[in-house]
Amino acid sequence: MLDLVWLVPIFPLAGFLILFTTIGKLPQPIAAAVGAGSVGLAAVVAFSAGYVFLADGMSPLTVTLYTWMNVGDFSPGLSFYVDGLTLIMMFVITGVGFLIHVYSTTNRAVFIDDEHHSRFFAYMNLFVCAMLLLVMGDNLLLLYMGWEGVGLCSYLLIGFWHDDPANGAAARKAFVVTRIGDTAMALGLFLLFLNFRTLEIQPLMAKASGTWVLGSPTLAAFLILGGAVGKSAQLPLQTWLPDAMAGPTPVSALIHAATMVTAGVYLIARTHELFLLAPVAQTAVALVGVITLLMAACTALVQTDIKRILAFSTISQIGYMFLALGVSAWSSGIFHLMTHAFFKALLFLGAGAVIFSLHHEHNILKMGGLRKRLPVAFWSFLIGSAALAAFPFTSGFYSKEPILMQAFEVSPWLWAGGLLGAFITAIYSFRLVFIVFFGEMRTEPIEPTGLSGTPWAMAIPLLILCVLAITGGWWGEPQVAAVFPEVSGEHHAGATAYITSGVPLVGIVLAYLIFLDGRLKVTALTESSLGKVLHDFWFSHWAMDWLYNALFVSPFKWVTAFNKKDILVDSIYDGTAATAAYVHTLLSQTQTGVLRFYAASMALGLVVLVAVVLGLT
Amino acid sequence: MSNTELVALLPLISFATVITIVLLAIPFWRNLKGICALSVVGLLISLATILWTTRIVPIQVTPLVLIDQYALLFMTLICLATVAVALLAYDYLKEREGQQEEFYLLLLLAALGAIVLVCSSHFASFLLGLELLGISLYALISFPIRGQATLEAALKYLILSGVASAFLLFGTALIFAALGTLSFNEMVQGFYVDVGSNRLYVMVGSALMLAGICFKLSLVPFHMWTPDVYEGAPAPVTAFVATVSKGAIFAILLRFFIWTDAYQYESILFGLGIIAVLSMLAGNLLALMQSSVKRILAYSSIAHLGYLLVAFIAGRLAGGAALAVEAASYFLVAYFITTLGAFGVVSIMSNGNRERDLDDIASYEGLFSRRPFLATAFTAMLLSLAGIPLTVGFVGKFYIFAAGVQGALASYGWSLLVALIIGSGIGLYYYLRIVFAMTKRPAATDSAATEWITIPVAGGWVMLTLTGTLLALGVYPTPLIELINSMVRSLPL
Repeated sequence: MLDLVWLVPIFPLAGFLILFTTIGKLPQPIAAAVGAGSVGLAAVVAFSAGYVFLADGMSPLTVTLYTWMNVGDFSPGLSFYVDGLTLIMMFVITGVGFLIHVYSTTNRAVFIDDEHHSRFFAYMNLFVCAMLLLVMGDNLLLLYMGWEGVGLCSYLLIGFWHDDPANGAAARKAFVVTRIGDTAMALGLFLLFLNFRTLEIQPLMAKASGTWVLGSPTLAAFLILGGAVGKSAQLPLQTWLPDAMAGPTPVSALIHAATMVTAGVYLIARTHELFLLAPVAQTAVALVGVITLLMAACTALVQTDIKRILAFSTISQIGYMFLALGVSAWSSGIFHLMTHAFFKALLFLGAGAVIFSLHHEHNILKMGGLRKRLPVAFWSFLIGSAALAAFPFTSGFYSKEPILMQAFEVSPWLWAGGLLGAFITAIYSFRLVFIVFFGEMRTEPIEPTGLSGTPWAMAIPLLILCVLAITGGWWGEPQVAAVFPEVSGEHHAGATAYITSGVPLVGIVLAYLIFLDGRLKVTALTESSLGKVLHDFWFSHWAMDWLYNALFVSPFKWVTAFNKKDILVDSIYDGTAATAAYVHTLLSQTQTGVLRFYAASMALGLVVLVAVVLGLT
Repeated sequence: MSNTELVALLPLISFATVITIVLLAIPFWRNLKGICALSVVGLLISLATILWTTRIVPIQVTPLVLIDQYALLFMTLICLATVAVALLAYDYLKEREGQQEEFYLLLLLAALGAIVLVCSSHFASFLLGLELLGISLYALISFPIRGQATLEAALKYLILSGVASAFLLFGTALIFAALGTLSFNEMVQGFYVDVGSNRLYVMVGSALMLAGICFKLSLVPFHMWTPDVYEGAPAPVTAFVATVSKGAIFAILLRFFIWTDAYQYESILFGLGIIAVLSMLAGNLLALMQSSVKRILAYSSIAHLGYLLVAFIAGRLAGGAALAVEAASYFLVAYFITTLGAFGVVSIMSNGNRERDLDDIASYEGLFSRRPFLATAFTAMLLSLAGIPLTVGFVGKFYIFAAGVQGALASYGWSLLVALIIGSGIGLYYYLRIVFAMTKRPAATDSAATEWITIPVAGGWVMLTLTGTLLALGVYPTPLIELINSMVRSLPL
């Protein structure tokens, strides 16, 4: 059975090929069935493989379909490596991916005509295939192919409604910003190959503790971290993710919450041997995580666009995963990746339902009182937010707690930062729930149809995700411990643990008092001049876009404006082309077609050849 | 001669038999289709004998001929390429005036020459094969006679080829004078001479011989004939000249260097290095602005033979010979498939009774909308020539790079690799130019010019097979790599 894991990425690939070659020709229901069905089949195979894997005692396995070529040290193959980590990722990608695909089959989720429909599912299937290649790849080449593949699909889907130039700009921004990280990662991979002459990840990691011909583990780890922060939207490359919300909501749920943005976490977990050799780089991972999670949480606190709140919350939660990796809580990081996929997909899909019901309204200040009118969305949001806020006995609680406890072992400061983040998370997530679903109704939702305004294909995935978001953590950390080294030390029970569990509750109560009960007035705080400045500062995500504009975009634009006639740069290329054309003209004059000239050339060539051969001896 | 030796000679014997049968059939049976079928069946039988022979190799049959896996691999390649040319030529010839059956006789003779070349281990058989191949080609190039261009091409090739043969013979004579033998096996002891006048003879002789071979391989500065002959010859014959003729001669060159250990002469390799750099640069630059597809492919083949020399030169290193043979063999297979395919398209475009082959780049405009299959196949061929991944050409070029890097790492200098990279970069431009022309939407008035092109049955299948093989070996090259590896392991390196 495990030998058949290669089928998992094949199904979505087939789906993509079918949909892409028949764009605009397949009727909507068939396109939807192909799109969701292919991922469903992949999920079935993935879960069966997981069952067999657990039954077989969880020994890692390499499945080689074939070796592409074998030239010198270069022998890339289409081969998959399956261990606990791979399987968890496969479950998330195919499982959550399938639910999101089913959700998307309803017209209202994507609200588009036949051609768009096929195109949407084609890209989504291609994404699932690329993401599976990324996590299943046994060698760096396959991993990189998947890595770039998901980047491409992300670009295509953010700019899905490309009629609006703003969406195109958002897609470009995502592509360019992640490209910076990708470049760093490519350099890191080259460095690894250069030193150890193999592309296969497992032997490579085993060899990493050996001698380095060039560079050091620290350099390689930092370069890989560069790729990870780009893809996973962490400091300093997180600016693209909020704008990526321009894509359809299921895209945000699948790509920009549940799967692609966690690729960086996967990458670091996959190469954890390297990070263990480079303590500085690992500390940097933890710091990046903590700073990002705090920045994003503060920003989420003051946003008004429902999808942007969720986007910043995603950045913040991935920050927790980075923190986990940085403090060697490997399994907990992957655990949080999994539970986050459940509750964040739930939140996004719930948000999709809300946005649709309110005629594409994104502003939460124009929402309110939807609890009765949109019960499915309400319960989704309530459960999702509880898990997001790490409310006890929800999945998020079980995964966030061990991260913070392990952080405390490494440094109380990291713990304190994470805890502050958890406190703010609780406030902003329940601020969202209270404003949108309670209080007075500010916008009338459209007439309900089906199950209280939510069709079955939408309600059932939401329901399943609700169950997962609550119970996803009840069985403890996923069985990935075998992949990672033991975490040292025991956790302190007692005060720290109680504080860690209690702080989110305080946050929720605070949110209740401020946003629902009204007993606690914060107007004095927000109206003060410092409060206003802080609000604006946070609202603009710590002015990062402004900063990057000033630091990079504007100077670049200035240079391009200065170089409008392209004298500087283009002259190199134009010059090359002109030189080539000129040499061509010169050389073609030798092709006279005159026989005696040809013979002369041969004789001359011979003379020179003899001279060279004799002269050098 | 023992039985085993006779069995080993079966490919040659079967070839000669087929030629005799075709020769006897033609006077009584003027039927192009029949003669073509006879030739193809004969070729396939010879192919079967080649496979049959693999069980008893390597075996030296008389001092002249060495049948080993190396020879058999190239024989197979030559046979298959000749089948493709024979089928393409049928479509090409059937609508032309005059009696065309003799074409197949000449084609088979030329192929026999090539086969003798790849299994020769002696200068006598080497020159015999070379001249058999060459003389058949003079006639093939001007076949069928249709205007001045073909005759001019044939005459140029005849005269210049004569000059090259003179170089080659004189070089052989000098080597013989120094070493007293013409057998490669016997040369191995004495070829690398340290001192004395013998050394001078061997070196000058080698240089003369190389000049002759470089002419046949159309390497700069012995390349001048290439575009004129390629342009003037009928497209199927051009395909044959570009693949079988060059492949066989390269095979014997590599064999000679390995068998006689000529790799020890630094200065000879240095000379070859200069020729390689010049060929890669000049070949690609000359193709840049060409408007004739056949001339573009001619210059491209000059550059490709330059790439091949990079792998060849890497054989100098200790232990590098294995990689050199491996890289060169794979590259040659890729080059055969791609070049046959590219000229196959030109050949199909030029079917019918026209005076000139349809090779103007303008005639290819809008081919995608009119003949999508042909345009797709041509695009695949061009991308493979450019070395784009997932085509066989990529794997071939990757091999050349691997061999070249190994050569460079062993302090042989980066100049070859630099020329290879620059050449490949320039190459992309003119390959894509053709693809670009094919995607253009043709003006309404122009389309009538090529509207009548039909894809013939035989040619269509040849193109389909070549395109399929090109993709299959690009996606999954391992079986071929393993085949070549087992051949390399059987060589006394």
